[in-house]
Amino acid sequence: MQHKTLLKFAIQAGEIMLKSGAETYRVEDTIERILSVHHLDVIEAFVTPTGIFATIDDESMEMTTLVKRIRHRSIRLDKVALVNDLSRRFTEGKISLENAMAELNAIDQRLPYPYYIMVGSTGLVSAFFTAVFGGNVRDCIVSLAIGIFLAIMQYFFRKAKTSRFLIDLIGGCLIGSIALLFTRLIPFTNLDQIIIGSIMPLVPGVAITNAIRDTIEGDLLSGVSRAVEAFFVAISIATGVGIVLKIGFALTGGIL
Amino acid sequence: MILQTISAFFATFFFAVLFNISKKQLLFCGGIGAFGWFIYLLFVKLTGSVVLANFISALGISLISRIFSIIRKVPVTVFLISGIITLVPGAGMYRTMYAMLSQNFEETAFYGAQTLQVAGVIAITIIFTSSLPIGTKKR
Repeated sequence: MQHKTLLKFAIQAGEIMLKSGAETYRVEDTIERILSVHHLDVIEAFVTPTGIFATIDDESMEMTTLVKRIRHRSIRLDKVALVNDLSRRFTEGKISLENAMAELNAIDQRLPYPYYIMVGSTGLVSAFFTAVFGGNVRDCIVSLAIGIFLAIMQYFFRKAKTSRFLIDLIGGCLIGSIALLFTRLIPFTNLDQIIIGSIMPLVPGVAITNAIRDTIEGDLLSGVSRAVEAFFVAISIATGVGIVLKIGFALTGGIL
Repeated sequence: MILQTISAFFATFFFAVLFNISKKQLLFCGGIGAFGWFIYLLFVKLTGSVVLANFISALGISLISRIFSIIRKVPVTVFLISGIITLVPGAGMYRTMYAMLSQNFEETAFYGAQTLQVAGVIAITIIFTSSLPIGTKKR
């Protein structure tokens, strides 16, 4: 019975990590480390970006397997760090199973940064990246506005549980059209720098980094699937921006 | 150049907020981003090669992330993802697409190849530093 509780705890810890954007090998490692506490004969964990499978077996019990499907993923690196820390303390015997489970639930309930901070940060990310890529002050202000619009748009679409690729496509369109509009209205603004800065919040940094790190650790399946995710996100953004620019150029005639 | 480095600090800092990284680590994330961009600009100026500058900068970022993760006892991803974001070839992707739109296929090939090279170089440096046996525990 105790073993089953341990397995549930391990799977829940893995689920939270995987949902929050941890690398696949780290999730596997964490589950196996938690399960190793009870010195069972058989411990197997198999993790892909969309699901977790774990099996334990021992002479004293029936073989038990638990499967967990992961659907909605978001980026919560704070949770990854906390669960990682918790699993370490648990395996070192510094915390009991009951307390660890309570703490894990508390981590799961942790709120992200408030909505207005997210909106502001998206705007500032866009603005500062425009500056990084050599935009002037006017470009940065336009990017700030685009970033804020983008974050508000993302918030409403995420609430409706829309596919990530559609959000990125629409985000690309939004960035392209606002950038095109403002560069026409305000003199001395650069379309390139504004768009490059503004697409940064959409760029799939987590997917790319995790794809590489999973591949190194031998999780080839996860590496490939994350790379495909990153590739399609990039294509979605490029299509969104591209369509708008093409229409814009067609209407106004020629390159800006 | 100094202005761009400072901007890189804030850009990475707010990116870390978007990733919901806890408040204690935010300043370090920003610092890594600024450091990486400074190295990048320096080597672009010295050598004129974008790909080489990306290589050295990504090497520095992933090494520092590794060291910070051991000191601050958090998973290396926290620093690596936010640090490397400045180097992700968003600009290259955009220029490739723009050249394709204007049917300038010579430029499309140029920027496309450069974007792939940069992405490959970043991947190799992450592989390289992740395989280095520093720190006994994996973080």
